[in-house]
Amino acid sequence: MNNIIKIAWRNLLRYTRRTLLTSSLIALGVALVIVFGGVGNSFRGGVIEIITNSNLGHLQVHKKGYIGSMDNLPLDLSIGEKGLEGLRKVLDSSPEVLSYSERIRFGAMISNFASTTNMRLTAVHPEKESATCPDLPGRIKEGESDPAAFVKPGAIVLPQNIASGLGFKLGDEVVLVANNKDGSVNGLSFRLSGISENIMGPQGKDGYIHLEDARTLLRIEGEEVTEVAVKLKDFDRLTGATSSIKKELADLAGAGQKPGAEAASGAQPGRGAKAGLEVHTWEELSPFASIAKMVALLIIVVRLVLVFIVLVSVLNVMMMSVYERVGEIGTMASIGTPPNKILALFLTEGLSLGFFSGVIGSAAGAGILLLLKALEIPFTFGSMDLVLSPSVPVGEIALALLVVIVISALASLQPALKASRMEPVDALRHV
Amino acid sequence: MSLVILENIKKDYITGEISTPALKGISLSIEPGKFISFIGPSGSGKTTLLNLLGGLDRPTSGKVTVAGTEISALDRRASAKFRGENIGFIFQNFNLIPVLSVYENVEFPLLMVQELPPAERRLRVTEMLEKVGMSDQAHKYPGQISGGQKQRVAVARALAARPKLVLADEPTANLDHATAYKVIGLMHAMKKELDTTFIFATHDQKVVGEAEQIYTIEDGLLSAGVK
Ligand SMILES: Nc1ncnc2c1ncn2[C@@H]1O[C@H](COP(=O)(O)OP(=O)(O)OP(=O)(O)O)[C@@H](O)[C@H]1O
Ligand SMILES: [Mg+2]
Repeated sequence: MNNIIKIAWRNLLRYTRRTLLTSSLIALGVALVIVFGGVGNSFRGGVIEIITNSNLGHLQVHKKGYIGSMDNLPLDLSIGEKGLEGLRKVLDSSPEVLSYSERIRFGAMISNFASTTNMRLTAVHPEKESATCPDLPGRIKEGESDPAAFVKPGAIVLPQNIASGLGFKLGDEVVLVANNKDGSVNGLSFRLSGISENIMGPQGKDGYIHLEDARTLLRIEGEEVTEVAVKLKDFDRLTGATSSIKKELADLAGAGQKPGAEAASGAQPGRGAKAGLEVHTWEELSPFASIAKMVALLIIVVRLVLVFIVLVSVLNVMMMSVYERVGEIGTMASIGTPPNKILALFLTEGLSLGFFSGVIGSAAGAGILLLLKALEIPFTFGSMDLVLSPSVPVGEIALALLVVIVISALASLQPALKASRMEPVDALRHV
Repeated sequence: MSLVILENIKKDYITGEISTPALKGISLSIEPGKFISFIGPSGSGKTTLLNLLGGLDRPTSGKVTVAGTEISALDRRASAKFRGENIGFIFQNFNLIPVLSVYENVEFPLLMVQELPPAERRLRVTEMLEKVGMSDQAHKYPGQISGGQKQRVAVARALAARPKLVLADEPTANLDHATAYKVIGLMHAMKKELDTTFIFATHDQKVVGEAEQIYTIEDGLLSAGVK
């Protein structure tokens, strides 16, 4: 085997220029895949982190049907006291959950006494919200941004665009007027305690008030919320954790339903008697998920291009190699070299070419990524400021190398088979 | 027992519709340890005959037996194995492998075909290079030595595997006279020393003088056994 590798290498080096040219093409392809994969994943990861840590959380729980009519922020599709109780039990006991934040989201009219506009608000307990969306306090650029108390009772945090649109300054009095779920109107005044920057996503331009204030404003008695955002300990466990939470909530609903079954014939769907909750991951909630999918798709496309480059260039080189060396093949075959060794010789040649180029390309790609990381290039996506810090993707490199090796082997197979099947007389005559 | 037995060998080359009869019925037997030459004009069928003797090609009809094996009946793989164990080849164009050094060229059949252990290989290669007088050039590559030297290396390669039969098709056609005589002389000496049978084809009348037995082929038939 060592000798076959030796002969293969010498043959590659024999046509130095051609080998170098092909090799650099493949190396370039591999480097491209790695750099593109690294940068793409870094961008994707960065944006996902910002949106999940700023307002979405990793997943959210609502009353069944809420997401379907989310645009109205319906207050009647809320999680009632019993449902919330069950949900808390599930979330508190789940080993995957780091923290969760109960919210009431609603639409309101905001007024500075001179003019009025509509806006969306999220009412929270600040310490729980900060634990679930740790980046949120940091996005409050003016005013109170203490994670434990960024919105106190009586205070309101407004997004930049609304604050400047209505000419609010910190400390100004702000009036909110909202419909409660029965349709009656109520108003309450707040003091502007913070102004937050806008971010992308469905909750990116919400104002924040304290949960207790929302209950007062909306005349909600008892513990009732419209949304619970959840942060997991390990984001990578998103799919598994989501399905286990879903399952436990379904069990809860099942258990709640059976004893109630007789009574249910009385046809009065008790508020929250059935859990009837729905769970959605950030992907189902944010439009960025489709951009993230596009990035993933593009990475796959670039990989396919690599496959194509390797296939064509290795095939080309190996076909030429076999054609140029027909006489040599005839000599080897006539002195008794078994066909499988001739096959191995050419396969090894193609494989070495691919592997060598792949290693060079990987090193170059990893180098470029490390450089990018060191440069800490900042850029803005939507209204989000990101710093590209691509880590060297070991998996990506291993995959690229594997692809190159497999494709080189496939590409060399046909020429190598052709070489091994030559009739010695015909091959010798070719000299 | 005869080393080589040819029984009514015929060979037609078929190209498209046209069939060219290259050998028209050749029978002969060759004893071991002989130094034999086939001569004949260009196109008479010498190369065709040698290819059949070496198992590189199959006759259209007839039987080729070498060292007790009917090689005209072997399949590709078995035929390659048989050649590797029993037959050495020397070519008109030397056919050394350009990426291998002189030493490695001689070692090639021992390594890739016979798969001998390293110590045994070293012994045989050194011995053969010494016999053909190429020891001092062992590290050079084929591109760095002369035609005569290449053919000496080729002789060493053919003999390193200790074949029973060495076939040489026009081994001197690309060499000048003086070198040609030396190479034939070397082959003759090797034949004596190793008791190997040599068969070579040539149309060079001057070179055949060294042969112990000469067969003349004309138009696909043996015309006479001279000497
Ligand atoms: N592959 C082939 N296809 C068709 N005809 C062939 C083929 N090889 C040889 N022939 C024909 O067979 C005949 C014998 O050819 P061969 O090569 O055996 O002659 P030769 O005695 O070796 O000649 P030379 O001295 O020129 O090498 C010639 O008529 C030649 O044209
Ligand atoms: Mg000939």
